[in-house]
Amino acid sequence: MTAILGRAFLLLVLTLYTAFAAGPFIWAAMMSLRTTTEISNSHFGLPLPAHWEKFPQAWFNSNYSVYFANSASVVVTAVAILTIVGAMAAHCLSRYRFAGNRFVYFLIFSAIIFPPQITIIALFQTLVNYGLYNSLVGLTLVYVAVQLPLTVYILESFFARIPGDLFDAARMDGYSEWSIFWKVSFPIALPALATTVILNTILLWNEFLYAVVLITDEAKRTLPLGIQRFMGDQLEDVGMIATGLMIAIIPVVLIYAFFSEKLIQGMTAGAVK
Amino acid sequence: MATLTLDRLSKRYASAREVAVSDVSFTVADGEFMVLLGPSGCGKSTTLRMVAGLESITSGDLLIDGARMNDKPAKDRDIAMVFQSYALYPHMTVHDNLAFGLRRRSLPRDEIARRVREAAAALGLDQLLQRKPHALSGGQRQRVALGRAIVRHPKVFLFDEPLSNLDAALRVGMRGELAALHRRLSATMLYVTHDQVEAMTMGDRICIMENGSVAQIGAPLDVYAAPADTFVATFLGSPAMNLLPATLTTGGSALQLGSQSLPLDGPLAAAAARAPARDVLFGIRPEDLRPGDAGASLRARILDVEPLGAETIVRLCPEGLGSEMLMRVPRTFSGRPDEIATIAVDLAASHLFDPATTRRI
Repeated sequence: MTAILGRAFLLLVLTLYTAFAAGPFIWAAMMSLRTTTEISNSHFGLPLPAHWEKFPQAWFNSNYSVYFANSASVVVTAVAILTIVGAMAAHCLSRYRFAGNRFVYFLIFSAIIFPPQITIIALFQTLVNYGLYNSLVGLTLVYVAVQLPLTVYILESFFARIPGDLFDAARMDGYSEWSIFWKVSFPIALPALATTVILNTILLWNEFLYAVVLITDEAKRTLPLGIQRFMGDQLEDVGMIATGLMIAIIPVVLIYAFFSEKLIQGMTAGAVK
Repeated sequence: MATLTLDRLSKRYASAREVAVSDVSFTVADGEFMVLLGPSGCGKSTTLRMVAGLESITSGDLLIDGARMNDKPAKDRDIAMVFQSYALYPHMTVHDNLAFGLRRRSLPRDEIARRVREAAAALGLDQLLQRKPHALSGGQRQRVALGRAIVRHPKVFLFDEPLSNLDAALRVGMRGELAALHRRLSATMLYVTHDQVEAMTMGDRICIMENGSVAQIGAPLDVYAAPADTFVATFLGSPAMNLLPATLTTGGSALQLGSQSLPLDGPLAAAAARAPARDVLFGIRPEDLRPGDAGASLRARILDVEPLGAETIVRLCPEGLGSEMLMRVPRTFSGRPDEIATIAVDLAASHLFDPATTRRI
């Protein structure tokens, strides 16, 4: 009897939590299939009839295809650079003892403590000076710089737990330090790398502040900026914003679904021997 | 195969005041199984890592077949090493673990396949080639680690406490397998352990290390029978050799142990004649004491009797002496605590040590 009550309580808590977590998503999903007029009449109404035509309309007529491509190119490039450079830095900092090792580590990590609002003006000026303002390359570099400390922080602790004997064994097997990184460290660290890939992808895919300050051209907007275009001073096209949100969320959901197992492995690595 | 020579090999870490390894010299002959034995922190693993090329050599020379190896990187020394942790690549199958080192050497695919197959067959890994290390037992992992060394056909094999992570029963089995492997390959092997049973049973010769230096080198039974100093005497053997404070009588014809005396003759009398002072340490192994009064004997109070099944260990306190000593006797021993027993001493198997230098006289 106690066990049944316990399970019922657990089920209730999980149901409430799921409703809390998934509620906004389901609401936005329903709104994405309704027109702004319908939403104004009834905020929580069901999408009857469902306006599926809003998706192609948003994709082709409202420029979402361009925003999506811009976001994809910036995020994929930034995450690729972050993963490789972050892994190299983490491997180096955890594996090699050299003078200033901890100093370099804390220098990288200390960048986390500055809120973006403090650095954004200096960053803006720097990008202008180097001709990278209002360019996707500039935005990509900023994203790499902003996310690198967290990436190195997560990866360093994982790389440090790889037993040193593996590197010695690879050296005895005849491999160079470069090969050892690619053939031993990198594959072993895949769970942690997947964690950083998914975290960085989600954070950068949704990033708004740097994009809104550093990008002005319509053709260079990323998805969050594109969605913002439908927010006017007087009138908001809520229906189209919801459709845009759904288009933006789909890749995140796919990546999470693909990497979630690795993400959990990476986050709990070492917790259970 | 090859001859391995360490000539006054030393290691000093930049951050440490004292040397980790000091003037270690010995030669491992072609096909010989040499064991480096010592307690934790004595420098045996550091010595092995210098031979492997995983630690730089501060001074001295390392030679393989007469060629100086000091500055050659690990990969160019043609040495294979089996690690205490096995160091298997967790993301690779057993097959890939075995083939990893061979691929680096750009061997033909057929040759790699043949060597992996041979090693797997020899070590009973045929059915496990597609498994990853996490799906193997401790003994199987150990075999893969051995296989990874064997497929390389190296000049020298190094082992860094390879059995210490196995449970007791498995360790006995693997000890036999390693010995058989050595007989089959006739390879030059250098084996580090802190386990004296491994050293005694497997080594052609053992090198006992203490505080970074060589304490004694020799065949296991020779070292056991004639330890160079009190460290070796007490480190080798379980229970350890009894060391009792004693005084040589004037003229050196007898040994005074508290209120009792033992007559000296033969090698022990010759050792007494060489003693630099009258105060000495009398060393005798527990199995060289027997109940009874045949020959030289001591009277001692029985403090404790520990029956171990196959044998019995008796803790004794010789009369008139503050020190205790252990005696190993057959399980039929019937003495009880607090009884006074007469203990026969095998003087031919006894030793005298200089308490000042701890060296055997």
